[in-house]
Amino acid sequence: MTQPVLSVRNLKVEFVTRRGTLRAIDDVSFDIAPGEVLGVVGESGAGKSLTGTAIIGLIDPPGRIAGGEILLQGKRIDNLDKESLRRIRGKRIGMIFQDPLTSLNPLFKISEQLVETIQTHSDMDAGQARQRAIDLLTEVGIPAPEKRIDGYPHEFSGGMRQRVVIALALAAEPELIIADEPTTALDVSVQAQIITLLKKLCRERGTAVMLVTHDMGVIAETADRVAVMYAGRIAEIGPVREVVQHARHPYAKGLMGAIPTLKATASRLVQIPGSMPRLTAIPRGCAFNPRCSEVFARCHVERPDTIKVGKSQVACWLYDTKKEAAA
Amino acid sequence: MSAPESAAFVTVRDLKKTFDVSKPWLERMIERAPKQFLKAVDGVTFDIKKGETFALVGESGSGKSTVARMVVGLLPVTGGEVMVDGVSMTTTVDSAQREKLRRRIQMIFQDPYASLNPRWRVQDIIAEPIRAFNLLSSQKDIADRVGELLTLVGLSPLDGVKFPHQFSGGQRQRVAIARALASNAEFIVCDEPTSALDVSVQAQILNLMRDLQDKMGLTYLFISHNLAVVRHMASSIGVMYLGRLTEVSQAKEMFRAPRHPYTRMLLDAVPDLGMSGRARVPVQGEIPSPINPPSGCTFHPRCPLVMDRCRAEAPLPINGVACHAVEEGRMGAMTARKSA
Amino acid sequence: MAATDAPKPTLRQRLNDSDLWLAFKDSPIAVAAAITTVLIFVLAFFAPVFAPQDAFNPAALNLMDGFTHPMERGAGSSMLFVLGSDAQGRDMLSALFYGTRVSLIVGLCSVGFSMVLGISLGLIAGYVGGRVEQLIMRIADIQLSFPGLLIALLIFGVARGLIPPNKHETTALFVIIIAIGLAHWAQYARTVRASAMVERNKDYVQAARLIGIKGLPIMAKHILPNVMGPVLVIATINLALAVIEEATLSFFGVGMPVTQPSLGTLIRFGQQYLMSGEWWILLFPALTIVILGLAINLLGDWLRDAMNPKLR
Repeated sequence: MTQPVLSVRNLKVEFVTRRGTLRAIDDVSFDIAPGEVLGVVGESGAGKSLTGTAIIGLIDPPGRIAGGEILLQGKRIDNLDKESLRRIRGKRIGMIFQDPLTSLNPLFKISEQLVETIQTHSDMDAGQARQRAIDLLTEVGIPAPEKRIDGYPHEFSGGMRQRVVIALALAAEPELIIADEPTTALDVSVQAQIITLLKKLCRERGTAVMLVTHDMGVIAETADRVAVMYAGRIAEIGPVREVVQHARHPYAKGLMGAIPTLKATASRLVQIPGSMPRLTAIPRGCAFNPRCSEVFARCHVERPDTIKVGKSQVACWLYDTKKEAAA
Repeated sequence: MSAPESAAFVTVRDLKKTFDVSKPWLERMIERAPKQFLKAVDGVTFDIKKGETFALVGESGSGKSTVARMVVGLLPVTGGEVMVDGVSMTTTVDSAQREKLRRRIQMIFQDPYASLNPRWRVQDIIAEPIRAFNLLSSQKDIADRVGELLTLVGLSPLDGVKFPHQFSGGQRQRVAIARALASNAEFIVCDEPTSALDVSVQAQILNLMRDLQDKMGLTYLFISHNLAVVRHMASSIGVMYLGRLTEVSQAKEMFRAPRHPYTRMLLDAVPDLGMSGRARVPVQGEIPSPINPPSGCTFHPRCPLVMDRCRAEAPLPINGVACHAVEEGRMGAMTARKSA
Repeated sequence: MAATDAPKPTLRQRLNDSDLWLAFKDSPIAVAAAITTVLIFVLAFFAPVFAPQDAFNPAALNLMDGFTHPMERGAGSSMLFVLGSDAQGRDMLSALFYGTRVSLIVGLCSVGFSMVLGISLGLIAGYVGGRVEQLIMRIADIQLSFPGLLIALLIFGVARGLIPPNKHETTALFVIIIAIGLAHWAQYARTVRASAMVERNKDYVQAARLIGIKGLPIMAKHILPNVMGPVLVIATINLALAVIEEATLSFFGVGMPVTQPSLGTLIRFGQQYLMSGEWWILLFPALTIVILGLAINLLGDWLRDAMNPKLR
């Protein structure tokens, strides 16, 4: 069993506010194997972006990591000092954020930003770094890279900028890339291009990817495994085909049913009543119990363990076989 | 001779909108630069039947939001005409007639956080159209009606005293829908009403909109960039690209057999939840700037079926499709979509 | 599917729960500043109740009490002068209360005047745009390049020329209020214009236009409530400035007349006697201005930080 590139164990993230301590991420665990794409899916407030931010150590106060471990290639990174974390960011973990407008510094040329990143994480001189930058731009599909590399971010279109951001993320040959909604701000036709590109490049390099998004379609096309988050917890995690087509957790099932597709379907979309609870009012037991159509007594009292069902893991008492066996 | 029932409720003819995006006068004089114009909408024509949903689909820069605002009267038109129930929105000078028309047309906006005044209570927001059009006069009648509307959209009448920030995005959109219905409007223009919402909330809102349409015979003009959402809402669809309509069809037809290459490209680009492993036509390029659009057919730089004629001549819509290749019967060159 | 079934929270609960109140309770400086300000306001506005002597009434003064040292009894009336008395036997403590009242009235009214003028012009400029906006903003720019004091002096001088001399004293208060008010409207106009420009493009304004609501009601009912935030912060800080400006004008002798001395006038009196040893006539009014200005400024600073969403 190869060692996972990223291992998150029982992660807890809290926000200390005047109103009390809010737990935004509550005991989240998952692994990402080398070359694997793990999709982290959830709606607003589920905590998926926060998980990514926690891993790279960029949580600002009043938020903080309150428990659990984050291991990169088997070594803990959550307890490192700022300087060591800074070195890991960029070199071993690359990041792609949602808005290419703010990921690139508008005052600097693309060449400067790329070369700076490359030189920070390697021993190349300026000339070699520039050549490497041009090679990277070619790989991400920027036409005439030798000319365009000296342009400023505003001279590129949205899709092109996101390609540059991908190039920047890959520049130091990281082992893991965390992509937070990389295609949400792009047009539909460009989204497909970017997703295909990201997948191809990561497969070639064996880079693991944590793809955070609310867009299930993107996950279906790109991810190998997917984790569905709800109210700071993982509801279900498993191979993408299983979770998308045969979701087990009632929330995941509802979510898949709510997504409109191009197939000719029934006239009504599946809808889950209510909305995700606010952090100040997370229900006791299973966080989903007020909205669940299959709720029963235990759900109100005990938070479900993660139970293995098929190749997935589901946090739902419906699948608790031990109790059934005992009964 | 058409039966009155099938006459269109909303008619849009050759709608045009040009923005003057020239640099300030002084700069132009100094640089000797010409005036620059942005043709956001360049001749859009479609009909909507009463009680139906017409969807206008397109990516950024397509002009769909501009069309929506012109139809509703928020933006003055540069050319063309909009008629609702036989009365022209664009040329009617008689203000009494326009007032009457205004009451029957309403709009739901994209951003639930910007479409409700954060300092007003929800009951006042919903009551505003009732008061503006003098539909009811006594405070009690108005309060009752507001309560009715809130219940209609799935909220509680007790929610009226709250402020918008106390609601979630989906609930705010419900308030926006209640406000749109407050004037007893018959025709509602929806500008990407669910784009800012989570998937499960989107499902609730879309279902609500359909239920209201069935119950009250509403007519919708539904703007969206999401073809899958449109699939669930629309009976006819118009696809826009850089200010022009590339294809207008009945919804079922369009999804079964899309004709225009851009439509096909859009459909292919929708991520496949069913993972049917369909073959994809290579997607090329990005949307060009609307200030300097390509010559002839504006889609030609990205079209897999491009020929010389496409570069020179803008295609006219024939049977709802504006494409030379379709006219010449060259469609087979594109890879066929495996039917879902 | 109902939103909530919880009972409607009372005003007290809502206040207690609000972020602003929590931030206030946490900041000792804000609390101290607030207490000081409130104390000064109460003492000033209820001067007739608290002051040992009616300082503005010449008949209540006894010349023999003049120049009494602090915490001593006057030679004429045997009254205890806590902070001493001035040349005319006026009790400094009472003079402070009454004087502060004048200063505060001038401060509050002039700020109110600038606000009304500035907000109206700012709203119109921001919402209507075009030439009107250009005109208003250029006037504001020009005005902002002059020091507020100079403008107030100018207006005061013009008023002096226009008003017949026998009415000078009675109208002095109004003239000062208008002078200081006119000197400061431009700040409000700028801020409100910027906010109005942002708000006018928001969908809720479009929704109002859609049902036929015209410009003026939109500006007043829709946009105005949403641009008031930064205005309140500016107003608080300007209040301190206005008090100091009034004091400065009075110190120059162009402010309040000697029969209704404000803090600045009192300082002018005191300046004459500083060198001869009656230090208290100058010191206490000066201290009051400093404390008042500091308290209001601290409160305004805190308010600005508390209302800045990025810092929360």
